[in-house]
Amino acid sequence: METIDCRNLSCPEPVINVKKALQEHSEIRVLLDDGAPRENVTRFSRNRGCRVSEERDGAGWVLTISGSAGAAHSGPEAASQGSRVVLITSDRLGEGPEELGRLLMRNFVHTLLETAKLPARMLFMNSGVFLTCEGSDVLEALGKLHGMGVEVYSCGLCLDYFTIKDKLRVGATTNMLATAEYLLSAGSVIKL
Amino acid sequence: MVQEGDYLAVFNSAHRVMKAESLLKSRGYSILLIPAPRQLMTDCGLALRISPDIRDEVMGVLNEAQLMPAFINRYVGGMYRNEEDLCGDQ
Repeated sequence: METIDCRNLSCPEPVINVKKALQEHSEIRVLLDDGAPRENVTRFSRNRGCRVSEERDGAGWVLTISGSAGAAHSGPEAASQGSRVVLITSDRLGEGPEELGRLLMRNFVHTLLETAKLPARMLFMNSGVFLTCEGSDVLEALGKLHGMGVEVYSCGLCLDYFTIKDKLRVGATTNMLATAEYLLSAGSVIKL
Repeated sequence: MVQEGDYLAVFNSAHRVMKAESLLKSRGYSILLIPAPRQLMTDCGLALRISPDIRDEVMGVLNEAQLMPAFINRYVGGMYRNEEDLCGDQ
C-alpha cells in the first residue's frame, strides 16, 4: 500500500497531496499531524465516498483511505465528472438592497462549512472575485473550504479588470477556457 | 469558524447586527459576522464572533451605542454556554 507522509505540511498541502495520491492508488496510508490536517483530510476523503480508518501514531495520526476509483480513470476530466461546482458571479446574492445581498452571500459561504457535502470546486467571476481578495469578509471561511479540498478559482480577467490581481488571498486564478471546461464537465453547477 | 473560548453575541435583528458590526469595525475591532449555530435559537440567525481578549471592550462599545445583543454564549469544551440573557435585542 502506498504511504504518503503529510506531516509538517501547512494547509491545504495535506489535502492536495492526498487528492493526487488517490488519483493513482485505490488505497493509501497517510501520516498526518493532529488537528486541522487530520480533520481536513478525513472530511475530504469521506466527501469523495472513500472509507477512512484512523489510528493514533504518537502525537499524530495514520489514516488508511480506500474506495477511490484509482488510477485507471484519473485526470482532470474524470475528477470533474459528477462533481458539484458552485459558480459565483457576484459579491452579493440576489436582487435587492446591496447591503442585504452582501450579507446573504457572506452567510451562504459561511454556511457551506456546515454542510455535509462540499462542492468540488468554487469559481468566482465578475464582482464575485472580491470575495477571494484582501478585505473580503469570507476569507477565513474560503480558506477553510480550500483546506478541506474545495478547489477555489478566481477569474484572472476579472481580477485584472478590478486591478486586484495582487490582492488575491485564497485559491488560484483561472481563465475562461478552464472555467468553460470545469462547467461543461461538472455533474451539477450551482450558480449564484 | 468558532474556536474554543470565543464568544458569540447573538442578535435577533439583522439591522441591529449589521449596525453593530459596522460600528465595531469602524473602531478597529476584529469581529466576524457569521450565521448563528443551529444549537442557538435565533430569529435572524446572525451572530458576531468575538475573541476573548476583546470581549469586554466590545460589549462596552455596544452598550454605549445601545446595540446590545439578545444574548451571549461562549464556546467551551465543544458546547455553547449561555453567558447572560441581556434582553437587549427584543
